[in-house]
Amino acid sequence: MAARLTLRLPRVTGAGLVMLLTAAALLLLVGLPLLYVVLQAIFPGWSRGELSGAFGLFVPLLSDPALLGLLGNTLRLGIAVVLACTLVAIPLGALRALTRVPGGAVWDLIFLIPFMIPPYIAALSWMLTLQARGYSEQLTGLSASDFLFSFSGIVFVMVLNVFPVVYFAVSRTMMSVGGRYAAAARVCGAGPWRAFWRITLPLSTPGIAASLLLVFALTIEEFGTPATLGAQAGFPVLVTGIHERFSDWPIDIPGAAVLSLLLVMLAMAAFYLQHWLVTRRSYVSQTGKPALVERAELGPWKWPVLGVFTLVALAAVAVPMLAVLATAFTATLSGGLSWENLSLRHFEALLANRGGALQALSTSLGLAIGAALITGVLGALVGYLAVRARLRGKGLLDLLSLLPNTMPGIVVAVGLILAWNQTWWPIQVYNTSAMLLLAYACLLLPYPVRYASAAFRQMGESLEAAARVCGAGFFTAFQRILLPALAPSLLVSMLLVFAIASRELVASLMVAPAGMRTVSTFVFGQFEQGSPGVGMAMSAVAIFTTTALLVALTAFSRKRLPIAG
Amino acid sequence: MHALKPLALGACLFALPALATASALTVYSAGPGELIENLAADFTEETSIEVNIFQSTTGQVMARLESEQANPLADVVVSASWDSAEALYHQGLLHEYRSPNAETVPDVLKTDHYVAQGVSALALVWNRNSDVPAPADWSDLTDAIYRDQVTMPDPAQSGAAFELITGLLTALGEEATWTLMKGLADNGMIVPGPNARALNPVLQGAKSVVFGAVDYISLGQQAEGEAIEVLFPESGTVIAPRPMMILASTAMPDEAERFIDFVLSEQGQARVAESYLMPARSDIEALRPSLDELTLIEVDIEAMNAQRDAILGRFREAMGN
Repeated sequence: MAARLTLRLPRVTGAGLVMLLTAAALLLLVGLPLLYVVLQAIFPGWSRGELSGAFGLFVPLLSDPALLGLLGNTLRLGIAVVLACTLVAIPLGALRALTRVPGGAVWDLIFLIPFMIPPYIAALSWMLTLQARGYSEQLTGLSASDFLFSFSGIVFVMVLNVFPVVYFAVSRTMMSVGGRYAAAARVCGAGPWRAFWRITLPLSTPGIAASLLLVFALTIEEFGTPATLGAQAGFPVLVTGIHERFSDWPIDIPGAAVLSLLLVMLAMAAFYLQHWLVTRRSYVSQTGKPALVERAELGPWKWPVLGVFTLVALAAVAVPMLAVLATAFTATLSGGLSWENLSLRHFEALLANRGGALQALSTSLGLAIGAALITGVLGALVGYLAVRARLRGKGLLDLLSLLPNTMPGIVVAVGLILAWNQTWWPIQVYNTSAMLLLAYACLLLPYPVRYASAAFRQMGESLEAAARVCGAGFFTAFQRILLPALAPSLLVSMLLVFAIASRELVASLMVAPAGMRTVSTFVFGQFEQGSPGVGMAMSAVAIFTTTALLVALTAFSRKRLPIAG
Repeated sequence: MHALKPLALGACLFALPALATASALTVYSAGPGELIENLAADFTEETSIEVNIFQSTTGQVMARLESEQANPLADVVVSASWDSAEALYHQGLLHEYRSPNAETVPDVLKTDHYVAQGVSALALVWNRNSDVPAPADWSDLTDAIYRDQVTMPDPAQSGAAFELITGLLTALGEEATWTLMKGLADNGMIVPGPNARALNPVLQGAKSVVFGAVDYISLGQQAEGEAIEVLFPESGTVIAPRPMMILASTAMPDEAERFIDFVLSEQGQARVAESYLMPARSDIEALRPSLDELTLIEVDIEAMNAQRDAILGRFREAMGN
């Protein structure tokens, strides 16, 4: 593969070398674990080093009538969440980008918080809030367990987790498509609505389509919410089926691998749909000339718009956070919300560093920063490679960069273990913290890649060509021309990577080296062992720490971070 | 070249930690996290052998062992399900060892290759604040009073819950067991997942009773002030011994054996008792009802495991899906 790529490169220049290294990194990071999963699916005895019974599992597994149900549920869930995200996040993102919403930057920060709330914590919080005798009933006498434990309830909770992906993509893209084209349209006589529908929205398609694809992929691979709410709702999906095979005795890794391939194929179909959508025409809208974004005044619409933002923030951030805090600050769950039940004992347990809580926090933060840096650099390069480089097989690389988002964390983890826990590697990576870094980088690479390639698609090639004509080499052009233009969306995606890596659960459970804890494995362990209070206290500390870090970062480099826009 | 700096940094991050983990005993443990940490700390203090712990659920531990087969890393494994130890033994993966400290461990709780660390039993867990009366036996929960008030751990995901079903099959017979399960399902019982997921709704009061909870977790929560009661049905229940074993692939068999000895020492077994499990040794006092205070159902585990898929299929059928 790598050899063929070199042959197709124009010449071995700086650019060629970087592209080659990028391709190699991608193959190592994503291709290798995927390859091992495929091999495991084909050869059931692979992990034991046996090659017998090839393809023996496909027919019995794929002809299982229950599978059709899982597949149907998965598709239904993915599509419903995408539709609901479209309805919620595109208007919010457009308003944020094109109008003067009071407190714009603050909303951006608030909408980053859902990423820092692990999905299973969010689902659990909604459960503690809405189920019979939950917090809502204790406070207001209202419970809604029938709604929560249903298809709509699952969609509701998942949308609140993932809508920021679309919100950020839409608002960043529309900001960079900018007032310029819309202004030109206005000059030519179009009204504001016409300018929006005919110019801004169509030109923003790559960003929006990419983010919706991400949402679809995230939804079909998400485990926490379907596992927490789905069992009571009687709504099994592919991922829960895969997990069952991985964690129910006896373990069926080959069967899980086959189902995972099915999930990967589903996501590939979505990828091609998006690809087809955005490559049909050109979306170049950045020419390098400074574009002053002129935002519309909301006037009397200010209050309803603020109302909508507030409502979404309440549902996506306030309710889960309050439930987390309520559980963390009450001595017992059965004691409910009362002053006598108020207690700091769960936080005391944390501070006493029981079970290595403090190390877990610093481990998670360090790994999240590392993952954000690695995926940021690699994402920018892969994005460039996918959009600009003229070489055969780049479609494959592009696809490869997206695939992790469609593979359940546990599958990536098993792929990584199978691939790296081999005696013939010169350095033993397995059973070190590097495995966690590899897992996060692999799982989260799609974010920077999606954001970067959408940005490159909108960037005129003339910019780079002009730089090259003026004598700039690849590195200079990349650093001086492309990177600044790319920075806003790349930084947002790196923040996302940081936020998600700081609380990733499923892969962490599998590949964390013995003796090492992350925030999520700590929290999960506390729940499993019947200390939901300590688990929630740790979640609260972690969510506040990561949020504070982001706020500090934003305040510190106010001029450079897009989030302060 | 700016862009490459983080990559170089990443590469350093990759290389460094590889040096950190040599020459420590690696223990994979499913079960109370605090217990294994205390045991490891005490053990290190006594022997100055470092211990690395991977603490998770039985399923995760087994999945990890399975995917590590090319290069096994664990030395000692503590599982929460007896049949997982049996399966590892049949695959020839276990190191043979009988600890001298296992003398007072009852014969049913030890073999030449694995021995119980402690024992849990299955129980009814009832929320004292609920509107329903405390149930006395499994079958009470089909009563209309308990309509929509019962949860049960999924026997597919909890080895202990599976053993309860096999116990009921042994004590009541096939027909009565499935009638009971069907009755529970008709009465609105939900099966939300492994143990903790069945217990949480009962803690908050959304539901009132867990049918077949692992006792030690609930006993621990009761001790922490939760308004729950752990009830052992008079008609009998089953136990779930928690086996520990040494992998044949270990590079540190002596240290691993010392660890097993330590867990079975008086000090180690006292730690086990602290976590509200029954100690494996009959001469160590428990903080809870012990083996001879419970009515136990004798189960032919091997025969039952042979029909595992069929039993789980019947269970799903009874639950109506």
